[in-house]
Amino acid sequence: MASRRRTLLKVIILGDSGYVNKKFSNQYKATIGADFLTKEVQFEDRLFTLQIWDTAGQERFQSLGVAFYRGADCCVLVYDVNVMKSFDNLNNWREEFLIQASPSDPENFPFVVLGNKIDIDGGNSRVVSEKKARAWCASKGNIPYFETSAKEGFNVEAAFQCMAKNALKNEPEEEM
Amino acid sequence: MDETSSISFPSDYPTIDPTSFDLVVLGTGLPESLLAAAAAAAGKSVLHLDHNPFYGSHFSSLSLPFPPSFLHSPPLPPDPSTPPSAPSPSSSYAAVNLRPHRLYSEIEIAGSSPEPSKAFLLDLAGPRVLYCADETVDLMLRSGASHHVEFKSVDANLIYWEGRLCSVPDSRQAIFKDRTLGLAEKREMMKLLKLVQQHIGSGDGQVAATAEEAAVGISAEDLETPFAEFLKKQRLPPKIRTIILYAIALANHDQDNAESCKKLITTKQGIESLALYNSSVGRFPNAVSAFIYPIYGHGELPQAFCRCAAVKGALYVLRMPIVALLIDKESRQYKGVRLASGQDIFSHHLVMEPSLQVPSSVSHSNTVCEGLNDSNLIGYAARGVCITSGPIQQGSSNILVVFPPKSLHSGQLTTVRALQLSSNVGVCPPGLFVVYLSTPCNDVILGTEYVRAAMNALFIVPNSDISEGGISTSDEVTEGETRPTLLWSSVHVQELTQASFSAVCSCPMPDENLDYRKILESTKQLFTNMYPQEEFFPKHSTSENAEDDSGSSE
Repeated sequence: MASRRRTLLKVIILGDSGYVNKKFSNQYKATIGADFLTKEVQFEDRLFTLQIWDTAGQERFQSLGVAFYRGADCCVLVYDVNVMKSFDNLNNWREEFLIQASPSDPENFPFVVLGNKIDIDGGNSRVVSEKKARAWCASKGNIPYFETSAKEGFNVEAAFQCMAKNALKNEPEEEM
Repeated sequence: MDETSSISFPSDYPTIDPTSFDLVVLGTGLPESLLAAAAAAAGKSVLHLDHNPFYGSHFSSLSLPFPPSFLHSPPLPPDPSTPPSAPSPSSSYAAVNLRPHRLYSEIEIAGSSPEPSKAFLLDLAGPRVLYCADETVDLMLRSGASHHVEFKSVDANLIYWEGRLCSVPDSRQAIFKDRTLGLAEKREMMKLLKLVQQHIGSGDGQVAATAEEAAVGISAEDLETPFAEFLKKQRLPPKIRTIILYAIALANHDQDNAESCKKLITTKQGIESLALYNSSVGRFPNAVSAFIYPIYGHGELPQAFCRCAAVKGALYVLRMPIVALLIDKESRQYKGVRLASGQDIFSHHLVMEPSLQVPSSVSHSNTVCEGLNDSNLIGYAARGVCITSGPIQQGSSNILVVFPPKSLHSGQLTTVRALQLSSNVGVCPPGLFVVYLSTPCNDVILGTEYVRAAMNALFIVPNSDISEGGISTSDEVTEGETRPTLLWSSVHVQELTQASFSAVCSCPMPDENLDYRKILESTKQLFTNMYPQEEFFPKHSTSENAEDDSGSSE
């Protein structure tokens, strides 16, 4: 394998309406009206191009088509730490993904969970604790967990790195 | 895509907010999806609904069991006699219940359906491909829909001639290499190809638009004559004429039978098709023939355009039937739609899929809905879907086979086309093959007979009763031994309905053609009819579709 090989990875972002759409992308860069955004990530000696797709609002009435899920290399599940229902629905989104995308090895498919908007109201309106979120992630095969904030782009880079890393099948999965 | 879940609609329909839109689109077939995406791109607010839990309507690709339930019985919905919410007597509009229209008939299934059923993705609108140089491909590139669909090349184009399959020499190299043609035949064919290229080259290279003014090489008079006569005039032998007419120009009807043939291709049309074919071969370096097929089936195309629409702000609600149109009591103008949830949604324009119709009693007395009746019917297409144990031709994956008129038997008036697809386009498990067949017809019995005759020519059909009523074919052909076994098949007849233009637009059904050109044309007309000021997918909208940060960060 050439060491400088460029790998294209399709990353899809799922989560409850209003909490996800455009929000996560906006932390990195405003993408109003964009189909997907691309992000270059270097991991070890390899260069990855992450093609990050959000749901474009089609999740609002559970109307995502199967084409959206096809060929995903990584699935990012996002919830709002200030909204309990968005956390409760993570399980539904995970299952929906596994049904629709039907990955060949569902047990080891790389998911990443993001707890979003930790900076809102100085963290005072937070209803889902980090501990609770991490416990759920652990119960689903140790899904890597990150907390992010819209303000600073906090942890977003780390999440990108993790996606690249996990999408590499041979890499051992561990939290960063 | 889960067909079983489509049977039970959720009882609690969501409430849609806002309640007023520029455009409401019912159904997610390709024309509807193109219109939603084009309108959203033009800045219109769009609500796009489908009663099915999946995208694509009559253009979808579905798992087994096939055909899906909605082919047997058209959609709809709650009992129209008991509208979920009674309109208040003081309201200024009346609710007119929509009538479901049955578009499929003569459905016949044979064989046991193969497992695993989920591994199959069967096109409702098959056989269908895109020309590499097709306007549909350009449109996908322009709209960004191309980000969502990948294509694979159709490997070969074959023609059924004198009881056997021959490859279609469709380029200079192919003609040069062909072993079945004599030297004189090759020379004649090369001459024609050159003539077409000169003719097209004398314009500005634009295939469709300029053929009339660019008459170098072919006289204006010749352009209006039937293409079949023109080819005779070029002294081309019968086999070459047949290949050009039916395998390259893709004529649907017998071109040598002026009386019974309703559509004689003019030389102008024929030359345009040849030119399109010619520019398709080699347009993409990794496409070996003129045609490409979307990986995972044609159902990907509407989904791609729906995503384009969603990205531009269109609102999507699957599993949402419509029960009625809302018509202004005084002006008799279209006002909006009533959803199965009982919610009323208002819009300036409405686009509907063809299985929904306005009752004729209303449409006759109502100028708004003029044209929305059975007169949209222009004919039928008989379609077959087959699953086979092996390829039609050894070593082949994705191939097109054309049965020109009279090739299956002397009374055959229309072309039968077959498209074989393999697991490398993601539509079936490895080792098995999906073959689509279709032919246009006026007589549904005759149409299904032609399809069955072609099936008998291509496959070993295990149950003899499957071919009963079929036309006896030249079964004793030498290659009989190598034919694959037919494991499962579905044959049905589909109505060909065309688009209708009024304040309430009705979209066309998948047509009898192999490509999307005609469907795209009528979709563009529907768009222009609604929004005369707007451009259908303006060219500048592409660049912002994919935002790439790689340049700035390095």
